[in-house]
Amino acid sequence: MFHSSMNRLPRGCRTVGGAKARAMERCRRTFMSRFASFGYDPFLPSGLQLIQSAWERLPEDLKDRTVCLTSPFGEPCCLRADLTLAAVAYLGAHHAPQERPLRLCYAERVYRTSPPPESDLESTQIGAELLGWDGEGADGEVLFLLLDFLQSLAIDATVVLGDTNLLKRAFQGVSADRAQSLTAALQQGNLADYAALVRGLPSPAADLAELPFLRGGPEVLRRGAELFGNEALATLRGLADTLKDLGMGDRIRFDLSLVRELDYYSGPLFDVYGGPSGRALGGGGRYDSLLADFGILGQALGFGLDLERVALAADEGEDRPERALAWAANLPPSEALAKALAYAERGLDLELSWLTSGEESLHLARLKGFSLWVDLRLGVFLDTGTGERTVPTGGER
Amino acid sequence: MLSIALPTGRVLSEAQDLLASLGLPTAKLRKAGRSLVVQDGNCHYLLAKPMDVPLYAHYGIADLALVGSDVLAESASSLIELADTGRGRCRLVVAGPQALDSRFWGHESAIMGLRVATKYPRIADSHFASRGAQVRIISLNGSIELAPLLDLSDCILDIVQTGTTLEANGLVVLDEVAPVSLRLVASRRSAQLRWQEIAPLLEKLDAIREETL
Repeated sequence: MFHSSMNRLPRGCRTVGGAKARAMERCRRTFMSRFASFGYDPFLPSGLQLIQSAWERLPEDLKDRTVCLTSPFGEPCCLRADLTLAAVAYLGAHHAPQERPLRLCYAERVYRTSPPPESDLESTQIGAELLGWDGEGADGEVLFLLLDFLQSLAIDATVVLGDTNLLKRAFQGVSADRAQSLTAALQQGNLADYAALVRGLPSPAADLAELPFLRGGPEVLRRGAELFGNEALATLRGLADTLKDLGMGDRIRFDLSLVRELDYYSGPLFDVYGGPSGRALGGGGRYDSLLADFGILGQALGFGLDLERVALAADEGEDRPERALAWAANLPPSEALAKALAYAERGLDLELSWLTSGEESLHLARLKGFSLWVDLRLGVFLDTGTGERTVPTGGER
Repeated sequence: MLSIALPTGRVLSEAQDLLASLGLPTAKLRKAGRSLVVQDGNCHYLLAKPMDVPLYAHYGIADLALVGSDVLAESASSLIELADTGRGRCRLVVAGPQALDSRFWGHESAIMGLRVATKYPRIADSHFASRGAQVRIISLNGSIELAPLLDLSDCILDIVQTGTTLEANGLVVLDEVAPVSLRLVASRRSAQLRWQEIAPLLEKLDAIREETL
């Protein structure tokens, strides 16, 4: 039994409100407007997908984690575990080849079980996809916009870059079985197992032994080129140069052993770190083969970030925006609302207080964590901490 | 400054010796007493129950952790396993009364439905599944050997070092699950963003292991 006022949620589900929801919404708005201004259209895919359409195309690691159910019409479905698939399917079905490339951005919930020790079943993901381009520039564009967005939230973010093709090239001289085992060890982050597997190879492979240690700054690219050839590092070097020229060189690092599913990813891939969490904010990369699966030629790349983690990281990096409790001071509602609107239009976040007592209203402002309190009749602002008159940041309102 | 999570209990002194051999400060750590957070030179040590240690690295509270491979497998945390230190060696085994022995050598149907007491439910499930058997897992937090004695379970899955405790309780090893040793792990973030501080420790660890071999 639980308390009658408790709306108990299924395990792994959550309702977000208060300051956290405000922070998430601020990040979501910043994200969507930043990407919209570069031609990324908002995208609102269905929450349910037909299993017969989705299953074969989902990345292997998502299949075990997908929530399956039957629709009221008896169709076997799964809850949307990933937005990339929906984006590619949308491109294939709604856009003629001459309309490509397609740029999409989204802020949507995804549903999937989390690997232990986490138990989340749902999260909100923000992300962007650039689909169907066939020339240079797309990788740089997406990474630049991603870093620019994180910078605008004052998140001290780092993108760790790897390249699926480099890894495929490095494993070329190894049998398919062993290459699969080596890849699996790297995917699991088990460097001890990886080292043991390399020691067990029929011929010595010092370059493979060194691979997981090639992580860090640009020096990693130089060493990688010595081991695997200049050509193998050309893509990463090109991206590094682009971002360096844009003043973002200190925001990128390299991990030449970074790997996800080799069959799914097809070029550069990346993880994004920022804020206090030991986990990545998210990641992305190139997945041209999924596009090819839909009969579409060209590149496909995109990324997804966990909005809650982004908001947490943004909270660390930036002062919270000022919020005021606006006391109506017993003015007629029309007059109080007009005055409140004037403040809101000048950029002040506020909430109205219709209490009759100014003292009670100020007390409420403190209880609810407002930094400012304003008497709408007199236009006087008080700092709720000190109780003294103040002027909101941004000058006289 | 690196934050390092360490397990309290049996392997703490081995972990301290290992850290000292890697050139990390341990004087204050050795005198920690009941303190759970110790600032020693340029290291920030966090002392936690062995089963909780991986979580501190998973969530980014600790950059590094020393943790038994048994605990690592059970927690299934998303970490970078940097190296097997070769210390704190023991084994994960299935143990039970001698009478059960023959059932472990035959067809999987002979062990189907066994009641297995353990503090490693995830490992137990995965181990018996790999043998083709579905078992009933009874999760306990300690004194696992008691369970088959009192008919709470048919057998146990637990770590064994010398075998003395098993013997004292009339139990024998029925199946080997995995060797166990102390592993050096890193949070995914630290393995990327603090690699320059971590790599020298790995080089020292390699050198120590080669000397030992």
